[in-house]
Amino acid sequence: MRRRLLGRLSGAVASLWVLAGAAEAPAGAGGAAEPCLRLPYVYTKWKHFTTENGLPNDHVFAVRSHENDLWVGTENGLALIDKRRGEVVKVWREKDGLPFQAVTGIDVDPQTGAVWLGLFGGGLARFSGGRFDHWHQLNSGLVNDVVYDVVVANDSVWCATTAGASRFDTKTGEWAIFTEKNAPMEEIWNYAVDYDPQANKIFLAVWGSGVLEYDLATGRWQEYIDPDGEMEIDLYRDDGINHVIVTGVTAIDGVMWVSSYFGGTRYDGRSWRGFPDIEGGLPSLFNNNVRGRTAYEAWYCSDKGAGAIVDLDPETWVQYTRDGKTGYAVVKQRLRPEDKTLATVEVIETGLNVPHTFVVNADIEGDDVFIGTSHGLGWGIGEGYYPRLKERPRMGRARAERAAPGGVSAPAPK
Amino acid sequence: MLHTTRCRSIARLILPLAAAAALAAETRAADKHPVYVGARACAACHGGAGMGCQFSTWLMSRHARAYASLCLPAARPIADLSGIPGDGHDSPMCLGCHATAAEAEPWERDAGFRLMDGVQCERCHGPGSEYMDMEVMQDRAAAMRAGLRMPSRDDCMKCHYVKGSHAAVHKRPKIDIEKAWAAIAHRTPASAAAEGLVEKAPKELAPGPKYAGVGACAACHNSAMMNRQASSWKLTGHARAWAVLATPAALEIGRKKGLSAPPQASAECLRCHSTGFGAGEGRFLEGFTVADGVQCEACHGPGSEYMPEAVMRDRLAAKKAGLLEATAERCKDCHKDSCGKPFDVEAGMRRIAHPSKPASGVTAGGVRYKTPRNLAVRPGGAEVWVACEAAYSVIVVDVARRLKIAEIAVGGQPNDVAFSPDGRRAYVSNRLDDSVSVVDAEARAVLATVAVGDEPHGLVTDRSGALLYVLNSATDDISVVDTKKLLELRRLPASRNPWSLALSPDGEVILATNTLSRLVPFRTPSVSEITVIDARSGRIADRYPVPETNLLQGVAWHPSGEFACFTLNRTKNLVPMTRILQGWTITNGLGIAWKDGRVDQVLLDEPNAYFADASDVAFTPDGRHALVSSQGTDRVAIVDVERLLALLREASPRERAEVIPNHLGKSSEFIVKYVETGSAPRGIAVTPDGATAFVANQIDDSLTVIDMTALAGAGRVDLGGPKEMTHIRWGEKLFHNAGITFQRQFACASCHPDGHVDGLAYDIEADGIGVNPVDNRTLRGIYDTDPFKWEGTNPSLARQCGARLAAFFTRLGPFTPEELSAVNDYTVTIPRPPNRYRAAGAKLTHAQARGKVVFERTHTNDGREIPPDNRCAVCHFPPLYTDRSRRDIGSRNWLDTQGRFDVPHLNNIYDSAPYLHNGVAHTLEEIWTRFNPYDTHGVTNDMTKDQLNDLVEYLKTL
Repeated sequence: MRRRLLGRLSGAVASLWVLAGAAEAPAGAGGAAEPCLRLPYVYTKWKHFTTENGLPNDHVFAVRSHENDLWVGTENGLALIDKRRGEVVKVWREKDGLPFQAVTGIDVDPQTGAVWLGLFGGGLARFSGGRFDHWHQLNSGLVNDVVYDVVVANDSVWCATTAGASRFDTKTGEWAIFTEKNAPMEEIWNYAVDYDPQANKIFLAVWGSGVLEYDLATGRWQEYIDPDGEMEIDLYRDDGINHVIVTGVTAIDGVMWVSSYFGGTRYDGRSWRGFPDIEGGLPSLFNNNVRGRTAYEAWYCSDKGAGAIVDLDPETWVQYTRDGKTGYAVVKQRLRPEDKTLATVEVIETGLNVPHTFVVNADIEGDDVFIGTSHGLGWGIGEGYYPRLKERPRMGRARAERAAPGGVSAPAPK
Repeated sequence: MLHTTRCRSIARLILPLAAAAALAAETRAADKHPVYVGARACAACHGGAGMGCQFSTWLMSRHARAYASLCLPAARPIADLSGIPGDGHDSPMCLGCHATAAEAEPWERDAGFRLMDGVQCERCHGPGSEYMDMEVMQDRAAAMRAGLRMPSRDDCMKCHYVKGSHAAVHKRPKIDIEKAWAAIAHRTPASAAAEGLVEKAPKELAPGPKYAGVGACAACHNSAMMNRQASSWKLTGHARAWAVLATPAALEIGRKKGLSAPPQASAECLRCHSTGFGAGEGRFLEGFTVADGVQCEACHGPGSEYMPEAVMRDRLAAKKAGLLEATAERCKDCHKDSCGKPFDVEAGMRRIAHPSKPASGVTAGGVRYKTPRNLAVRPGGAEVWVACEAAYSVIVVDVARRLKIAEIAVGGQPNDVAFSPDGRRAYVSNRLDDSVSVVDAEARAVLATVAVGDEPHGLVTDRSGALLYVLNSATDDISVVDTKKLLELRRLPASRNPWSLALSPDGEVILATNTLSRLVPFRTPSVSEITVIDARSGRIADRYPVPETNLLQGVAWHPSGEFACFTLNRTKNLVPMTRILQGWTITNGLGIAWKDGRVDQVLLDEPNAYFADASDVAFTPDGRHALVSSQGTDRVAIVDVERLLALLREASPRERAEVIPNHLGKSSEFIVKYVETGSAPRGIAVTPDGATAFVANQIDDSLTVIDMTALAGAGRVDLGGPKEMTHIRWGEKLFHNAGITFQRQFACASCHPDGHVDGLAYDIEADGIGVNPVDNRTLRGIYDTDPFKWEGTNPSLARQCGARLAAFFTRLGPFTPEELSAVNDYTVTIPRPPNRYRAAGAKLTHAQARGKVVFERTHTNDGREIPPDNRCAVCHFPPLYTDRSRRDIGSRNWLDTQGRFDVPHLNNIYDSAPYLHNGVAHTLEEIWTRFNPYDTHGVTNDMTKDQLNDLVEYLKTL
C-alpha cells in the first residue's frame, strides 16, 4: 500500500518537476528518464545516542565535535563519544568530578585541546587531562553562573550568561564583564556566543538585544537589532534580523547566521536575508540555535526538527524531521525567483534521523553533522557529502504542495 | 514679634537649603576625584610671612629632600637588604615613603606637581585640588570635607616606624616622634594672612636665553643614566638657598644689614640666593620658581637655548647655545665673604659635585655568587652546562677535564638548561625575565630570547627538537615554543608551580612535576600532580594525582620507559606538629609514575636520618641506579632500581597504597650508597656513558663529581664564584640546610622553596594543639613588614626564627646568635620578584585604574560613607600595603581561638594563594564573595561584580 502511494506520488511529482525545472535538466537527459536535478546533499545515514547506549541523560543541551572526540553536554552529565569507535567511551557526572550537572555550552581550544564547559547554574569549567577546573561567580570574576554558551577565542574564553557576557584571559587570569554598562546591551541575557577567527570578532546572541559584534582588535561594538523594533511580525523581510530576541549566531566565511524564536536571518556584510515562516524553508519559527557551516549552509535547530539551508540560489533547504516511526528529509527549493514560497521537491525517507524534533543544538565537523535534541543525539554521517547543490537524480518522492506555515509537510505514515 | 516670626520663617527656609547645599557639597566632594597639585601650589598661600613662611619651613626640612636622598650611598645597601634590585628612584617601595603620590596615576597629578619635591604637603594633608581654594581653606570643616587631612603622630609612623632595612644601614635610633613633630612644625600664625609665592607664567617672553628652572633640567638629569644629578643638587645647600632666607638667622642678618624688605624680597639677598635675579620680565619660562634657590642655571647660564637634548649631546653646540662651565670664579661671585662666612672653593665644589657617572665600585647586590641550580649534559657527553641563578649565566664544564671552560651571560636568574637533540643549541630558562635564552652551543653566544610565561623553571625539547616545553612556575602553565620560529605557540594548563619535566625514552610523553598541591578544601589532605603531555600532539594527555604530597620537583624517566621517578615531600600539615607517627611533619621521598598512570610512593628517609628536600633525580643509562639529591642534607642517595622495583612488586596493593608511602624502614632496602656533596645540591646529570654524575651545589658554586663505577665522590668542579662567604650567603646556606632540625627532617627551604610558599596551612603547637591552623606566608620582600606571624606577635625575624623556631619547629637547639643573624640577613634579602601585572613605571590598564578607584573609595555605591577603618587603603596603604597592625576582619572560624590577625602586605599578592590567615580563600575573589558576609573586611557587599573584578585587577598590581 505504501509503495503504491509512493509510486503515485513520484509519478505526479516527476511531471511537475519536468514542468518546473526542465531548463535545468542536464544535457542529454530526456525521454522517459528523469532528469538530473540540482539538489542538495541529504543525510541518510544516522547514528543515535541516548541513555540506552551510554549518554548520561537524554536532554542534550550542547554538542561539540573536535577531531576524534565528540563531546555531549546533557542535563545531567557530560559524555565523550569516540568517533572512530562510534560509541560513548566516558561519562562524567558530578560524582565523577564534573563541577555541575547541566552542561549547556562546549568548546574545545584548538591550540591546547582543553574542553571548556558552560554550566547552566554552575559557571564555567575546563576539562584538561582528566581534571576539571571550575570558575564560578564566587571564586572568580565570572559575571553569572547561568552560562548558556562558551567559546574559545585565542587565549580567551567567552561566556554567554544570563547576566551579561564574561571574558576570561587564560594567560593573565583577568576577567572582563560586558553588560549594559559597557556594551550596547539593552538586555543582558546572553544566549549564545561565537567567534570568527578570520574576522577576529566575537558575536553575542542576546535575548532582547539582537546580535552584538565585538571587534577584538579595536574593542568596538557593532549592534544588529530588528529594524521593526519589538514587533512580533517582520514588516520588511530583508532589512535586518527578524527579532531582537536572538537565540543563536554563527559567523563563518564572512557571513552571519542568526536564529531567533521568530525565524532566521543571514547577513553577508552588505545584504540581509530573512527566512520567515511563510516561505516554508525553516521547519519552524521557533529556533533554539543555529550552526553555520559555510557562507551558504547553516543548520537551524527548531522545535520541529533541524532545518538546513544549503544554498541561496536557488534557496534550498533540507528539513530533517520525523514522525512516530521514521524520519524524513524534506527538500524545499524556490523554483523560480519570483516564487513567494518554496516547493517541496523531494521527500526522502531516511529512517530515524534527528532523534527528536525538538532540536537544541548542532555542530558540524568535516562531512558530518551532530544534532542535539531533547531526546538524544543524532549523528548524520556525511558519506559523499557535497556542499550546495549538485545535479543528481532524486532519491525520494516529491510533492508540489506548499509547506504548511511553521510546519513540515512530511506525509503522515500509513 | 513680626521680626522673630520672619526670622523663623527664613530659618525654616534656609536651614533645609543649607542642609541640602551641605549635602550637595559633600556629594560633590565624594564624586570628585582629587588630584595632587604639588607643594608649589600650596606656596601660593603658604609661602609668605603672613602664613609663617610655611613653605620655606618645609623646604628646609628633610621631607623636601626625601626623594633626593635616594641617591645617597646608603640607599643602595638599604635596597639590597630589602630585596629591591633596582634604583630606589624607580622603586614603588622606596617612593612610597620618599615621595608624594608615588602610587598615583599621571592624571592624578597636576601639571605643576613634581615627584622630585619629595615628601610634600599633600603626603600628609591629602591631595589638594578640592580643598586648596582660599574660601574652602578658610573654613577648616569645609576643607576637611573636601579632603584635607590633619595628620596625627600615628600617621607619621606609617613611614617612620623602625624599618630593619634602614636601621641596619644608618644605625640611627628609633625616631623620637615628639622631636620630629617639633622639627617639622609649621604653625599658622594667629593673625594669619594668606600670602605667598605667586609665580605667574609670563605673558610674553623676551628674546634670547631664558631660565627654564631645575625642573626642566631634571627631566633628563634625574635619570639613572645621568646618575640622578638633580637629586644630588637637591641635597645641597643651593637647593635651600631661597628657603633659608626665611629662617630666624636670615632675618637677623637682614635686620643687622638694615634691609628694608624681608630677605626673601630683598634684592641684596636674592642676587645670590636665587637664580636669574634681575634678568627682567619675560626671561623665565613656565615652571621656573625662585623657591628652587640656586639652581643649575645659576652656574650654567639660562638654559632655554641649550636644553634640547640634541644640543646637549653636542658639547660644542651646547656651549655655543649658552651653556656655561661652572668655575671657581663663578662660585666666588657669591661666596666670597658672603655674610661673613669663610668659603673654601675646593671644599664647596666637592660638596656640590654631581657627576654624571656613578663612582666606581657602587653596584647593586654586592658580592655576586654563581648559585648553580640545574645542569644538563650536552649531547655527545663532552660538556656539562650549568644554569647559575645568581650570576645570570650558564657555565660550561669540560667533562673530561672536570674544568670550567666558559661562562655565557644569559637572562636574569637562569634556572634550568636543556639542549636541542643535536646539541647545537642550549635553551636556558630565565626566572626573573620570564624568558628563554637560546644559546648557540658552539659559539657560546645567545642567539635570541623568547618570551614565555612567568618565572620559567624546567624546560625540554621533544624528540625532534621542533618544540620546546617550558614550565612557567608562577602562571601555572606550560609554554610550547616553536624552536624554528622561536615563537610561543600556546600555553598548556599545568597544576600549581610546575617545576621540572622529562621526556620519555620513546619520545611519546613528557612528565612535568608541580611543587604546590592543587588547591583543596579547607582541612583536607594535599593532592599534587604529575602533568602528562602528549609529545606528539603537544597537548595535555593526562594528570596523575599524587595524594598527600607536595614539592614534587625533580623528575627523570627510567631508560626502559616503563616508569619515571620524581622527588616529593609528604607534608603532614593537617596534624599538629607534635605528632611523630610515620615520620614527623615532613617526610621525603620518591614517586614512581608508571606509564599506565599508576603512582607509587616510597620514602627516602631513615628513622633517625632524614633525607630532607629531595630535589632532583637522574638515572644511569643502564637503568641500574637512580641518583637523588637531598638539598637539606648535602647528600646524593644512590638507589638500586631493581631492589626498589622488587620492593614494590612484593608488596600488596594495600601496602603500596597505604604502608610503603609512610614506611621509614624501607629506604635501606634500596638505597645502596650515600655520597656527600657540597652545600644544597639540586640538579643532577649523568654522562651518556654512565661513568660520571655531576651534582650542582647551589651554595658552594661547585659541582660534585660522582664516579658511578665506584659509587663514590670523585672530586669537585669549581665554578669560579667568590671565595668570600658573606654573612648573607652563610644565612642562605643555613636556610637550606636541615641540620638545625631534629633528625635533619627539614630546613627553612622545605616550607619556603625559592623563599616563597608551599601553599599549605599548618597546625603549629605554639598557640595550641589542634587549633589555629595558619597559612604559610611568603618570605619574598618581607623586610619591614613586621610584626610577623599571622597573630602578629613576633616583632622581628630574629624572634620569629630564634627560640620560637627551636621550640615549635625544629625541636633541637636553636641557631646560635651568629647563625640567627645570618639567617635573618638572608631571609630579609630574598627579593620580591618584579610585579608581573604592572611593570615599573607602567600605566595602569583601564580595569586596574577602575580598581584603584574602588580600592581608594570612601563611599559606597549608594553614597554612604565607609567608616575610615573599613576602607581598603586605610589598613593596606602604600608602599607595603599594610599598617602592620592586628585587626579582626571577621575571618575567625571554628578552629581559631581568637580573631585578630596581622594585616598582611599585599605586594605581589597574586602569587601566594590561598588567602586569609588560614588559607581558606582559594582566590582573591573568595576573600569577599565567601568570607566577608557582614562587610567586616572592607565594605564590599554593595559592589557590582565588575567592580570586584576591577578591584582584583588592581590588587594584582601592588
